[in-house]
Amino acid sequence: MAKKNNIPEVDIIVDEKAGVIREVEPDKKLRSKKGHERRVNGAIYAILILMSIIWLCPFVFLVLQSFRGESGGQVAYVIPKQWTLDNYAFLFQGVGFSLQTLVKDLPNIILTVITNVLGIWGMVAFLRRKPKNPIEKTKGNLKAAALVFGVLLLINFMRCVDSTNCDFVRWFMNTLTIALFCAVIQTVMVLSVSYTLSRMRFKGRKLIMNVVLVLGMFPGFLTMIVLYYLLKMFGLTQAGAVPGLILISCASSGMGYYISKGFFDTIPKSLDESARIDGATRFQVFLKIIMPMAKPIVIYTILMAFMGPWGDYVFASYVAFGHKASYNVAVGLYRWVNTNDYQGYFTRFCAGGVLVAIPITVLFMALQKYYVEGVTGGAVKG
Amino acid sequence: MASVTLEGVKKIYDNKVVAVQEFNLEIKDKEFVVFVGPSGCGKSTTLRMIAGLEDISEGTLKIGDRVVNDVEPKDRDIAMVFQNYALYPHISVYENMAFSLRIRKMDNEEIHRRVCQAAEILGITQYLARKPKALSGGQRQRVAIGRAIVREPAVFLMDEPLSNLDAKLRNQMRAEIILLRKRIDTTFIYVTHDQTEAMTLGDRIVIMKDGFIQQVGTPQEVFDTPRNLFVAGFIGSPQMNFLKAKLVRTGDKYAVELLGTSVALEDAKCKKLLEKNVQTKEVIMGVRPEHTVVRFDGSDNAIESTISVNEMMGSELHLHVNTIAGDRVILRLPTIDLTDEQRAQLSYGNKLYFSFASKVVHLFDPETEESLLF
Repeated sequence: MAKKNNIPEVDIIVDEKAGVIREVEPDKKLRSKKGHERRVNGAIYAILILMSIIWLCPFVFLVLQSFRGESGGQVAYVIPKQWTLDNYAFLFQGVGFSLQTLVKDLPNIILTVITNVLGIWGMVAFLRRKPKNPIEKTKGNLKAAALVFGVLLLINFMRCVDSTNCDFVRWFMNTLTIALFCAVIQTVMVLSVSYTLSRMRFKGRKLIMNVVLVLGMFPGFLTMIVLYYLLKMFGLTQAGAVPGLILISCASSGMGYYISKGFFDTIPKSLDESARIDGATRFQVFLKIIMPMAKPIVIYTILMAFMGPWGDYVFASYVAFGHKASYNVAVGLYRWVNTNDYQGYFTRFCAGGVLVAIPITVLFMALQKYYVEGVTGGAVKG
Repeated sequence: MASVTLEGVKKIYDNKVVAVQEFNLEIKDKEFVVFVGPSGCGKSTTLRMIAGLEDISEGTLKIGDRVVNDVEPKDRDIAMVFQNYALYPHISVYENMAFSLRIRKMDNEEIHRRVCQAAEILGITQYLARKPKALSGGQRQRVAIGRAIVREPAVFLMDEPLSNLDAKLRNQMRAEIILLRKRIDTTFIYVTHDQTEAMTLGDRIVIMKDGFIQQVGTPQEVFDTPRNLFVAGFIGSPQMNFLKAKLVRTGDKYAVELLGTSVALEDAKCKKLLEKNVQTKEVIMGVRPEHTVVRFDGSDNAIESTISVNEMMGSELHLHVNTIAGDRVILRLPTIDLTDEQRAQLSYGNKLYFSFASKVVHLFDPETEESLLF
């Protein structure tokens, strides 16, 4: 033992460039390695920080402009000289809020009763969820209950807002309505189509998949004119633009099956088979076995379905053309700076832009984890 | 509890591959039948057809007295254990086992009773609250079996349930399946590629190859009287030795001539050959390693050979030897009576002699590969 301790603890390092062998104490070697790592990391972080600053520039500019007090269109400076919230106040001018809408007439009363009963029942069910079996511990699902409560609140709130005299709120509500409907309908469609294509074997399955893939390569704008006339036949343009836009977004949504199909493909088929032998129907397999396992991809699909119509300009602009009440936010705000007094409306336009960005940012931050999981999970097998 | 009858069952896949054909089998109530064969022989396909996971291209399938060709899997009253367990990863072991009962809207008390009972039988009571992820391979397999037995199904299907386990665990689970079978007395259909599993578990074994049934019989039957060369080679470990030999007929008597030795066949075998009116011809002779007699010195009717490999198995030795004709033969030699001198002699390159009794000889037609004695 004593002898062993006498051996100096040195590591031999081959310095490739110099072509010599150096003896370095392990401590020192470790330190130099760490130093190297730190330098590399430092460089990477520097580049990343620089890039994010570049990326953030337009947004910071937008936010700052939205607080600018002095009038005028674009100005040669970024930081406002006068700070004000007037631009935001302008957006909400004339907005009304009346709880009476909830009980205005019979259809409204019925709707109110249905949404509230469903919402409260759902909340209570989640909070007081009994354990399915004596082995598991009781636990209420607070998150799910909060979600139900949030949705209930949102629906009631949206119904109470009176935006007849307030353009911006009206547009915002239009956009929200379209996006919410799309999020629900499109998610259901995309998930069912991709599950079907992943699991069932039927004639023409490969053909459908290929044709859809090729069709998806054409830009959607090619169909613009045809779609407009079709919608017009149904009376879904101008005044009916909101349902029309929901229809457009949802109609071809099954075509976006690719990523979620890839995700479903990674779930072993024997799970389905096992569940079917256990007595489940195809639908029960989908709902009770596959859906709980596919949480990331479900959330990813919802997010994508929500974001599409949220930022849509092209379709919204021509379907609602000329009918101010059916604009969505993007179209409406653009109209402000385009047709109205540009000088006066630019800062208001910026304020509107900030407000539009908020919900989507919050949504993204909350669901970021699943979003990444969904994209990469689906990418394992294409 | 039900019988399963397959009549002329055939499976053609979409890509025109014929997986199974001319499958005729009647499985009696409470019988344990094992489908065995090399991979790609159609055994799993047949099982999946019985389960309803694959369509039946031709023929009829009956469970009990009911034709179930077009019946959904859930209505066939069967349970199945998969090779990769197929446990639902997002719910607890308890809920995994309770899943099929919940789908059937059984009341909670009955579910609890059945799940606890099954867990008790399989010794997984302490894991009921866990997720499948937190279990070892053997425990997962138990859960998979538990999920099947809570149903109390009429037919119990198992698709290579032990092939994902390591050797030791596999032996243990094999014994447990035998015990389980005694406790839940029902019809079992078990698929495996491992002939040891087939021999130890099955009341009857169905040996398959290339989509055809080769032979159906009890383990003893298929071991003693293999119908053809394939079955003879597949069943038994180490594998049966095959040697080119000549069958000589003199009057009503037959003898096998091989490498200068001649073994007269006993009356029972002669009678069978006479029935088929077999003449003097070239045959393939099969003899199992355990039926050979090793001799250290050359004597009458002993075949000379050279040792090439000596495998020590503990209680016995497996000797791979080459005859002068170049045939490779495996001999089995119990180690218990060996003297040190004899042990020394059993090394590479040394001469060794062996013989065999006529009783254990199998004869096959070299062209049809069918047994001449079946």
